[in-house]
Amino acid sequence: MPDLLEVSGLTKRFGGLVAVRDMHFTIAPGEILGLIGPNGSGKSTVMKLIMGIERPNAGSVRIDGVEVAGLASHQIARMGVGIVFQHSRPLHRQTVLENIKLALLPDSLLRLFTASHIEDRARAIAARVHLDHVIDRLPGTLPFADLRRLELARAVARNPKVVLVDEPFAGLTSTEVADFSNLIASFRAEGHAVLLVDHNVRGVAALVDQVLAMYLGERIAEGSAEQVMRDEKVRQVYLGGAIQAASRPAPPSGGRTTLLDVENLSVFYGKAQALDGVSLSVGVGECVSVVGLNGAGKTTLFNTISGLVPASGAVKFDGKDLRGRTPAQIARAGIVQCPESRELFGDMSVRENLDLGGQHLSRANSTRQLEWLLDLFPILKSRHGQAARTLSGGEQQMLAIARALMMQPRLLILDEPTLGLAPVILEQLSKALETLRQTTDITVLLGEQNVTFALPHADRVYVLEHARFIWEGTPERFAIEAGAQFL
Amino acid sequence: MTFLQILIDGFAISSLYALGAIGFTLIFGVSGVLNLSHGAIMVTAAVAAWAVAGNFDVGPYWGAAAGVLASVVMSFATYLLVVRPIQTSRRIAREEKEIFVLTATLLWGIMVQEAIAYFFTSNPKTVRPLVAGVINILGVRTPKQEIVTAVISLAVIGLLWLLINRTRTGKTLLAASINPRGLTLLGFELSTIYLYVWGLYGVMAGIAGVLLGSFLGVSSDNIGQLTASAFSIVVLGGLGSVGGSLVGALVVGYLETITAYLISPSIRTIPVLLLLVLVVYLRPQGLLGRR
Amino acid sequence: MSGNTKTFGLALIVVVALACLPFGVSGYVLGLLTLAYYFGVFAMSWDLLFGFAGEVNFGPSFLIGVGAYTAGLLNHYPHWPIWACVVTGAVASVIAGLMLAVPALRLRGPYFGLVTLVAVLLLQNLIVLYAGITGGEIGLDLPDVLSIDEANNYWIALCFMSVSGACLFGLSRSAVGLILQASGQDAVQAAALGFNVTKHKLAAFCVSALFSGLAGAMLIFYEGTASPGTVVDIAVGVQVIIAAVLGGRRTILGAALGAIFLIVAGEILRPLGQLSTFVVSAVALLVILFFPGGFLGLLSRSGRG
Repeated sequence: MPDLLEVSGLTKRFGGLVAVRDMHFTIAPGEILGLIGPNGSGKSTVMKLIMGIERPNAGSVRIDGVEVAGLASHQIARMGVGIVFQHSRPLHRQTVLENIKLALLPDSLLRLFTASHIEDRARAIAARVHLDHVIDRLPGTLPFADLRRLELARAVARNPKVVLVDEPFAGLTSTEVADFSNLIASFRAEGHAVLLVDHNVRGVAALVDQVLAMYLGERIAEGSAEQVMRDEKVRQVYLGGAIQAASRPAPPSGGRTTLLDVENLSVFYGKAQALDGVSLSVGVGECVSVVGLNGAGKTTLFNTISGLVPASGAVKFDGKDLRGRTPAQIARAGIVQCPESRELFGDMSVRENLDLGGQHLSRANSTRQLEWLLDLFPILKSRHGQAARTLSGGEQQMLAIARALMMQPRLLILDEPTLGLAPVILEQLSKALETLRQTTDITVLLGEQNVTFALPHADRVYVLEHARFIWEGTPERFAIEAGAQFL
Repeated sequence: MTFLQILIDGFAISSLYALGAIGFTLIFGVSGVLNLSHGAIMVTAAVAAWAVAGNFDVGPYWGAAAGVLASVVMSFATYLLVVRPIQTSRRIAREEKEIFVLTATLLWGIMVQEAIAYFFTSNPKTVRPLVAGVINILGVRTPKQEIVTAVISLAVIGLLWLLINRTRTGKTLLAASINPRGLTLLGFELSTIYLYVWGLYGVMAGIAGVLLGSFLGVSSDNIGQLTASAFSIVVLGGLGSVGGSLVGALVVGYLETITAYLISPSIRTIPVLLLLVLVVYLRPQGLLGRR
Repeated sequence: MSGNTKTFGLALIVVVALACLPFGVSGYVLGLLTLAYYFGVFAMSWDLLFGFAGEVNFGPSFLIGVGAYTAGLLNHYPHWPIWACVVTGAVASVIAGLMLAVPALRLRGPYFGLVTLVAVLLLQNLIVLYAGITGGEIGLDLPDVLSIDEANNYWIALCFMSVSGACLFGLSRSAVGLILQASGQDAVQAAALGFNVTKHKLAAFCVSALFSGLAGAMLIFYEGTASPGTVVDIAVGVQVIIAAVLGGRRTILGAALGAIFLIVAGEILRPLGQLSTFVVSAVALLVILFFPGGFLGLLSRSGRG
C-alpha cells in the first residue's frame, strides 16, 4: 500500500540555527511512528512543519501522494491531517458537544445553521472518546484527561488520513494512559497513519510500530522500539554511554546540616498536576541531582523553590519558611536559580550580564568574584564585550551559570544545563562543574535528563517521574536500581 | 530664508517631540505598557506650571518645577491606580491585559482632560517662557525660548542616555526591558524597578509638557493629539527603541514643519500619517526596530 | 439552544416595552434614546470584531464616518433619496473596511490597532481639508431627514437596533460565529482544524463595517447634519469601545446596553456641566478595574450565584 505520509529532505532554519536538517520518513496506512528526542531536538518543529504551522526552508511533505509543503495550515488540514496539541484551548463558553461540532463545520461563510448530520456525527465521536457522559458540560468544568479527550475528538473529527499527536500521555494517570493507548491503537486499526511525538521511547514503546530518534535537528536512529533503545547513539544522547559514579570525597561523618528542606510540595497548572507531594532535602555543601525526563516536573520543582510558582506544602531554607517571600527576596537570601531557558540579557554584553549578577555585592567583592569566575570559565574572558545573544549555546550556558555564581549563592539551582548542547561542550561544562565542586563548598541542586552528566556531580540522586519522586539514593546504586528505566 | 526657518523650527519641534516620545517608549520598553494617558500627563505639567507661575508671584522657574512635580505625581497615580491593578488582577485573562491597559489609560486620560477643562477651562494656555526675547540667527528671528526648548530637550535626552548606559541603575532598567524574568532571578524586585521608571517617565513627560506649554501653548483639547503623536513617533522609530524614537521624532518634526511651511499648516499631520501607515505595512518593527 | 431561545424571548420583551415608551415619555427622552440606539449598533458591530474575531479596532469611527459621509454627500449634492444614500453609504463602508483590513490583518498586537486609529485621523483630516465640499468641522447639512416626528424617529432607531442586534447576535451564535470565535481565540488551532482564519476575520470586518456604515448613515439622517464631531472624531470611537467593554465583551447585546447607559448617564449628569464626562469616564474605569466582565458579566454571575 502507498504511504499516507511521506517526508523527505525536510529542513527548517530559524535565523542561523538549524532546527531540522534533512529529515525523512514515511508512515503507511495503519502504522504508528514514534518520533522521539530530548527537548530542543526539533521533533515538535517537524510536527509543525507537517501541519504547515511553520513553513519549511526545503524538502517535501506528501499526504497520500499530494505535495503539501508550503501550503497554509488550513489547506493541509483539509488535505487530511489532524493534530492533537499538547495544550488544548477549547472554546470555554461552548459545551463539549459544540466544541466537537466546531471541528466538523465546513469552512464556509454562508452556513449559518449546523446540519443535523453534524450533530449526530459529533455525538458519535464524543461516544468514541468516552466524552458522552459530559457532552453538555462546559470545558472549564472537566478534569484534565477529558480535556485531552476533547482535543483528540476535535483532531479526528474530520476523519484525517494522518493524525499527529504531541506528547499523547503527558499529565495522565496510568489508567488514563491505557485508555488513550487503546484510542490511538483504534486509529491504527482504521487505517490512519499516526505520528506520536514524545520525549522518550519507553512512553510510546508499547504502541508504536516504528521509532525515529532525533537529536539537535537530525535523525540519529530508526527502527523498532527495542532496536532504538539498544542503539548506541540513542544511549549516548540519553545516558551518555556507561554511567559513572561520583568521585567527591565523602562528607565528614555526623552528616550535614540541612540547608534546604522541601516538604510535601504539590502544584497544579489549571487541572494538570505538575508536582504531587514531593519532599526533598539538601545539606550544606551537598550536590543533589534531580533526574527525570522532560515534563516530569523538574522545572516546576525549581520554580516553586524560587517562589515563581504558587504551591501547597512548605519550602524551608536555613530553617526559615519561604512562604510569602517574593522571588527576588528568595534570590537575595541565597537561593539562585540558573534556569533551563537561561534568561540572559541578550542585547547586553557578557560583562554587563555578569555585573548585573554582582550588583548586590560591594564593588570590591564583585570584582573579586568576577575574576574568580573568569578563571573558571576562561572563554567568557575573551568574549567579555560581546552581546550575550551572539554567543554559542555552550557559551551562553556558561555565562548563565557564571552570572548566577556572581550572586555568591548559598544554594545554586541548575536546571537542565546541558539542554541542546553538543557533546564536546558538555565535557567543558562538566569540567567546570567538577572544579567548582572540588574547590568550593558550594551547595548545588542539579536538574537533568542527561543522567551521565548528572551522576558524576552528585552526592545523592532523586528520580522524578510523572510529578513524583520514584527513587532516591546514591549515584552508585542508581546504575543498578534505576538506570534501566531511563530510556 | 524659508529653508533656514524650517531647519530651526523643525529642529526645536523635533527635539521636543523626542523628549516626550522617549518617555513614552521608556515605559513601553521597561514595563510593556502603552500609556494612552501620555498627553494628559504632559498637559497636566504645562497647566500646573502655568497656574503656579500665574497665580503666585514665583517666576517661571518655580512654575516649571511645579509642573514637573505635578507630572511625576500624575505618573505615579497612573501606574498605581490604573495600570498596576490591571496587571495584578486575576479576573482579567493574561491575553486581555493589553486591551484593558489601553482602554483604562485612555479613560484615565479623558478624566484628566475633563478635570483640567473644568478647573482651568479648555482655553489654550501659554506658560511663561524661561527666557524672554528674540534672537537673530542668520536673518531668521527666533524666540530665545525656542533655542532653550531644543537645548533642554536634548540635554535631558543626553542625561537619560548617560543614566542608562553609564550607571548601575540604568543597566538594571535596560536589563528589565530585555528580560524581566532574568532580573527577578538575580534578586531584583521588578515592582521597585517599575516605580522607578514611572518616576523617570514623569520627570521627562513633565519637562516636555512645560516646554511645550511655553513654546507652542497647550490646551486640554490637545491631549488626544499629543498621545497620538507620541504613539506615531514611537511606532515609526520602533516600539521600545530609544534611538528609534529619536529618529522618529526628527522625521515627524521635520515632515510636519516642511508641510506647514511649503504646503499648508492645515494639513501638517497628513504626510506623517501616510508615512506611518506605509511604515507599519512595510516594516512593522519600525525604522530602527529589531524583530 | 435553550439559552439562546431564552435570551431571544427576553430581548423581545424588552424591545416591546421600549416600543411603548413614546406613549409615556417626553420627546426629549425619546431623542436621547434614539441617539443611544444608533450608538448601540456601533458598539455591537465593534464587539463582533473584538469579542469574537479577537481584533482590536481602535477606529470604529472610520467605518462609521465613511458610511455617514458617503450617504451625506450623496444626499447633499445629487439629492439621492435617503434609502439609496444609506445603502450606498453602507457599501462604501464595507469597501473602505476591506481596503483597511486586507493589509492590516497581517499585523499583530498594537499595530493593527494603530493602523485603524490612523485611518480615523486621515479621514478626519481629509474632511477638514476638503471643507469646501464636506462642510469641514462645522458639518454638512442634509436636505432630507428620516422624519420630523420624534416618535417616528425613535421607532425607526429602535427597529434598526433590534434588527441589527438580532442579526449580529444570531451571527455570533451561528456556525460561522463559532468558527470566528475559534479563530479569534487561537488562530493556529483553528487553522489546524481546517478553517481559513483570514477569510473569517475579513468577513467579520465586513459585517462590522456594514452595520457601522448603516448606523452612521442612519444617524446623520436623523440629526439632519453630518459633522466630524458626531461620526468621525476619535472621541466617538473611544465612546463606542467603552460602551462595548462596559456592557460586557463577547456578548453583542451587552454592547448595546453599555451604549444606552453611556448616553443616558451622560445626559443625567448634564447638570454637572463639563464634569459629566469626567464622572462617566470614572464610572467606566471603575467597572473595568473591578468588574472586567462588564454589566452582562455581573448579571450572569449574580444569576448563577
